[in-house]
Amino acid sequence: MGDSELVVNGRATALASVPEDERLLDTLRWRLGLRGTKEGCRSGDCGACVVLVDGRSTLSCLTLTHELPGASVTTIESISEDPVGRVVQDAFVAEGAVQCGYCTPGFVVALTGLLKELPPSAPLPELLDEMQGNLCRCTGYGSIVRAIVRAREATR
Amino acid sequence: MIRSDLLAKASGATEFGTDLAEPEMLWAALVLAPIAHGRIRRVDLSKARAMPGVHAVVGAEETARLLGPGAGDPERPLFPSTEVRYRGQPLAAVAASSLAEARAAARAVQMEFDPLPIAGDLEEVVAEWPGSEAGSDPRMIAHVRASNGDLGEEFRLAEFVHAETYRTNGVAQVALEPHACVAKVDVGRWFVRTSTQTPFGIREDASSILGVPEASLVVEGSWVGGGFGGKTAALVEPYALLLSAATGRWVRLSLSYTEEFVLGRSTLPAVVRLESAVRAGRVTARRVRLLLDTGASLPGRDFATGYAIGFLLGPYRSDAFDIEGYAVRTNKPPFGPHRAPFAPQCSFVADSHMDSIARRLGVDPVAFRLAHVWRAGDVTPLGQAVGPFGLAECLEKAGALLAIWRRELPTADGFGLGVGCGYWSTNAGAGGEALLRLSPNELTIDQGEREIGSGSVVRGLVAVAERVLKIPSDAVRVGYSDTSRAPFDSGVFGSRTVGALGQAVEKAARRLATELGRRLGTSDPATLARDDDQLVAISGAVRRPVRELLTSEELRAGGLEFPGQHAAPPGRIDDSRVGAGTFYPYTDFTGAAHVALVHVDRATGAVRVLRYAAFHDAGVVIDPATFRAQVEGGVAMGLGSALTEETLWGPDGRLLNPSLLDYRIPTLGEVPPIEVHAVPGHPGAGPFGAKGLGEPPIIPVPAAVANAVADATGARVREMPLTPERVARTLNLLASGGTGRG
Repeated sequence: MGDSELVVNGRATALASVPEDERLLDTLRWRLGLRGTKEGCRSGDCGACVVLVDGRSTLSCLTLTHELPGASVTTIESISEDPVGRVVQDAFVAEGAVQCGYCTPGFVVALTGLLKELPPSAPLPELLDEMQGNLCRCTGYGSIVRAIVRAREATR
Repeated sequence: MIRSDLLAKASGATEFGTDLAEPEMLWAALVLAPIAHGRIRRVDLSKARAMPGVHAVVGAEETARLLGPGAGDPERPLFPSTEVRYRGQPLAAVAASSLAEARAAARAVQMEFDPLPIAGDLEEVVAEWPGSEAGSDPRMIAHVRASNGDLGEEFRLAEFVHAETYRTNGVAQVALEPHACVAKVDVGRWFVRTSTQTPFGIREDASSILGVPEASLVVEGSWVGGGFGGKTAALVEPYALLLSAATGRWVRLSLSYTEEFVLGRSTLPAVVRLESAVRAGRVTARRVRLLLDTGASLPGRDFATGYAIGFLLGPYRSDAFDIEGYAVRTNKPPFGPHRAPFAPQCSFVADSHMDSIARRLGVDPVAFRLAHVWRAGDVTPLGQAVGPFGLAECLEKAGALLAIWRRELPTADGFGLGVGCGYWSTNAGAGGEALLRLSPNELTIDQGEREIGSGSVVRGLVAVAERVLKIPSDAVRVGYSDTSRAPFDSGVFGSRTVGALGQAVEKAARRLATELGRRLGTSDPATLARDDDQLVAISGAVRRPVRELLTSEELRAGGLEFPGQHAAPPGRIDDSRVGAGTFYPYTDFTGAAHVALVHVDRATGAVRVLRYAAFHDAGVVIDPATFRAQVEGGVAMGLGSALTEETLWGPDGRLLNPSLLDYRIPTLGEVPPIEVHAVPGHPGAGPFGAKGLGEPPIIPVPAAVANAVADATGARVREMPLTPERVARTLNLLASGGTGRG
């Protein structure tokens, strides 16, 4: 148990008495009240909890908060402040790539991270392959693939 | 048209059941039975009570004390006091200051049991396949049977009898959001906010389980992170309410994902035997026997067997038939309804069987189906009249597309094409009601459902109002309120939202249009348009702001109100054909035919679906985007059922794969592009001729895939899902001259 700090959505955030087994997912959802990041399987299989840690797409359910002192965490709540995040969000809405919406924050954040990380020349199949860690039970992925294509075109 | 809920969902602003929180709330955890069957010797809560942060630990005794002796449904106790019937059955519940403390205390509950034999395997019952006298067998919780015609004569005259046995396995719901709620009991008001498909259903269920009158119970639905049938009955709600009654505090109960797999209502395995008498290229008589594992379901509460057995004849004419099914009790969690409960499995069996007969006859499988399929004006085997029904047309179109794909099919080994058929009808439940309220700048649809993701509420109901009143959709708002204020509705299930509740919206909207026309001084119904931010009523050349048409009393009350009702239509089954049990006379048949192009790797048995097309009779499609989204999503879910999804049960009654790593749903790279086609011209009873579409898209998928595998390899895989192991085993059997021919 120790004090820690994170930069969450651009704001320095002090965290008091963080147990060693506290997951970033719980820090965000219950300590900081940022419940836009969803809890699904809690075992790294579904991708609903993806956030960006220092810009990299990260499963917050398998990340221990005390191991990230000073890291910068971006969640769905601030994704629209990022120009790429905004494009991705708009693409999901425009393509109707959202049904129940529970997986959507994870998809939007993960795709935002990827589009920023991969070179613009990265082929579409590579992008789609990288997105396989996010599960959706409603859409059948057709509309999500169309949203990914749309966001990719708009950010190139 | 962009749905009104999408941006909030893509911004993380939407509050789901798992996101609900209240000040000073307690966190709950369930204590689950570690064995599948046994007498309870002792459930000792004292150690758990002494754990840090614990506010309450309740078991069977405390429940009787809190609710009063004899309260609640003795058949569905919150916690059993004498016997455990499945592994994971809740035996006690804990409320503590944190989730970690609640879970730690739950682990500290001490339990002792006298183990009893575990009935887990349907195959044990199959070995001594029950005869009709088995109705009194305590292992069977339901027996259904229906028959018609002279079966013996038809089988005697048959050129051959095609006999097959099929097996299907259990499918888990896998809504990404586990069941979750918050509850508070306060001076006789039992309030729960929960992620549910059926707020009024939860009220009824919780009332019966807790023995609290419905008038004292208030259920408020939250946004739902996927339902698919798993969120139609009370699960977490009564426990959270009980713990709140024990502590006086808000209590949050959310299942872990492992618990969700166990308790979240899966379907379970089944074995089906079919015998078809074939003469002159036609099936003249059918005999079907079903054994369905219904887990620890209770007698009188089985819905699935009567549901399933009818579907096992397929959407095909059967003058002579005898169908009989048993619901078998095992020590697994109770069977649950997953999207089109058991119909995909039945379609897999019935349509594989038809395909297999066609191959034996050496005739085109599509033409063979067309010679048998129901058409409008037919009477189903159970005696239901078939209304407008476009399945034959779906099949014709599927067959034409299949012929094109056949010409393009790679000549390399392992490619094949198959068609699958399915039908469905709308389960209107106990009906429902909508209340339309027109204010000067907005139309509100007050109703008692929650949007579960399909768009049937946020888009479907709005589209109905839009069509009647020509109102711009962004001037229509859907009102959600709790069960103490919302108009009654049965909930989101049975493909009923647009088809059934939509009729209530349509009626209310038509009344509103007529009344506005009257107030404009015309005899025609009015429409609505927007002028700046004000709504304007229009009839012919007359045009006035809505504000000027409302009385001051109506303006004060928030608008002009019109209710609309929908009552479930009286479906009819021919009772003279029913020998035992309950069948369901749901109405408004919808049909679909799907085409799959697969590749089978002969070495590994791995099946890949490369192309897919779906033809649906959904009556009149009132929102094309939502139609496409539903079909794409349903097909993908069906591909999971067809290829990978399977709950695996150990001999100790343990679910062996309760995680998304070991229970595989399709990923983004595994779903091929899906062509979606509406087949219009067969209007249903819904608004403007719409039919329900929530469930139909999943139904034909496993059959289409299995038939394509048979086409590719000549091998008939008679168990779903078609895992590589099963496909490879069937191919090996075939190669060694054994059974397995398609």
